[in-house]
Amino acid sequence: MIPDDLRYTAEHEWVQPEASKVRVGITHYAQDALGDIVYVQLPEPGTEVAAGDSFGEVESTKSVSEIYAPIAGKVVARNDQLGDAPELINSDPYGEGWLVEIEPAEPARVDELLDAASYRRLTEQ
Amino acid sequence: MTEAALLRPALYPRHAELGAKFAAFGGWEMPLEYAGGGVLKEHAAVREAVGVFDVSHLGKATVTGPGAAGFVNACLTNDLGRIGPGKAQYTLCCDDATGGVVDDIIAYLNAADDVFLVPNAANTAEVVRRLAAAAPPDVTVTDRHRDFAVLAVQGPRSADVLAAMGLPTGHGYMSFTSAGDVTVCRTGYTGEHGYELVAPVGRATELWDAIMAAGAEHGIRACGLAARDTLRTEMGYPLHGQDLSPEITPVQARSGWAVGWSKPRFWGRDALLAEKEAGPRRTLWGLEVLDRGIPRPHMTVLSGDTPVGEITSGTFSPTRRIGIALALLDTAAGLVEGSEVEVDVRGRRSRMKVVKPPFVSAGVR
Repeated sequence: MIPDDLRYTAEHEWVQPEASKVRVGITHYAQDALGDIVYVQLPEPGTEVAAGDSFGEVESTKSVSEIYAPIAGKVVARNDQLGDAPELINSDPYGEGWLVEIEPAEPARVDELLDAASYRRLTEQ
Repeated sequence: MTEAALLRPALYPRHAELGAKFAAFGGWEMPLEYAGGGVLKEHAAVREAVGVFDVSHLGKATVTGPGAAGFVNACLTNDLGRIGPGKAQYTLCCDDATGGVVDDIIAYLNAADDVFLVPNAANTAEVVRRLAAAAPPDVTVTDRHRDFAVLAVQGPRSADVLAAMGLPTGHGYMSFTSAGDVTVCRTGYTGEHGYELVAPVGRATELWDAIMAAGAEHGIRACGLAARDTLRTEMGYPLHGQDLSPEITPVQARSGWAVGWSKPRFWGRDALLAEKEAGPRRTLWGLEVLDRGIPRPHMTVLSGDTPVGEITSGTFSPTRRIGIALALLDTAAGLVEGSEVEVDVRGRRSRMKVVKPPFVSAGVR
């Protein structure tokens, strides 16, 4: 449930580096802790974010969790499917349930995020 | 506050086997939701088929001895004289001085000298303390919180499940009957046709297994207390500690139907009659969200920029697929059914309409 090819944050987000951008979502662990997700609030494409900024919310029947930008940059896409089908985050957190894509200001910073082994240790604590 | 060790229900191992996530409810570690289920599926099972809840954290107390029913009737708000033996009644334990709600309770009238009470887990000790302190010498109040398991079988197929177990099903809403050492009550807090089975705690596992076996062909699901909360909120049923509390009176919470106003005595009578006469300063209403927000307890309700009340319960309604809430709204704001208000949802304004609950029509009978 923690793919080896992704990077992670301590706030339970995953980051998938692609050519000029990174795709961001929340981890299996995070969606399981939240329970059934019923509402997602995401930033508009074009929004500039600083690393650690709260830039959205994922809300379940019982609680709400902020989403933090894992890396500084510009939001270039968001997953509009989640408006009608927020449950995709539960059923496919690393695939169809992705949240946004960010064009990083400093792409090398991705390497500073947690790798799968480090994130796994974090969730097992 | 130091965290006291949580009590575990007898069925804890069953819940753990089913992959339950647990949470603390009134000092008990109870299932919140189950693996493979989740609030939405568990909620839907109860609305469309049948679900079973372990609600053994609920309190249990007996009031026995000559005049027990009369004594209870002189303390709790509802009029026990309206029901006969074999019937249950929703009633309130109010503070005598303020009329605030110490707890809401189901009272089962066994006989004039035998009343069984089911208070909320967190309030049982206090309700027992207040009753015991007031009881005449020949009436005994006993806390039996850990002696019984309570399993709620709820949903349109609940009667089929009980029938398959050989348990009685035909009795009316809010009545109960015995089958050996199991009491079968036509009660619940979901808004659906359902039963609550009260059994000696030693029988809990056997009873749970029998319910799950009999329910399999009816699509039964083990349901956690998270689904119980969305189900009861859709019905506008109050939860003590949120919509009812020592700071909230039944007049404010629109629970006056559970008060025997013509009774000569019950705790809080003077305060509540005076408040009823003068009109409450705030009233519990339902709110239906008109956009995508989900209201949560303690959020502020606004009319224009004026705070006019506070959310007491709020969630996403799985049936309606919108946010719904119960809120105490100031009488002075002059809001009526259909009025539009806003709620500050973490810095964003969400539009909501004032309604009278329930949010979903009841199928209890």
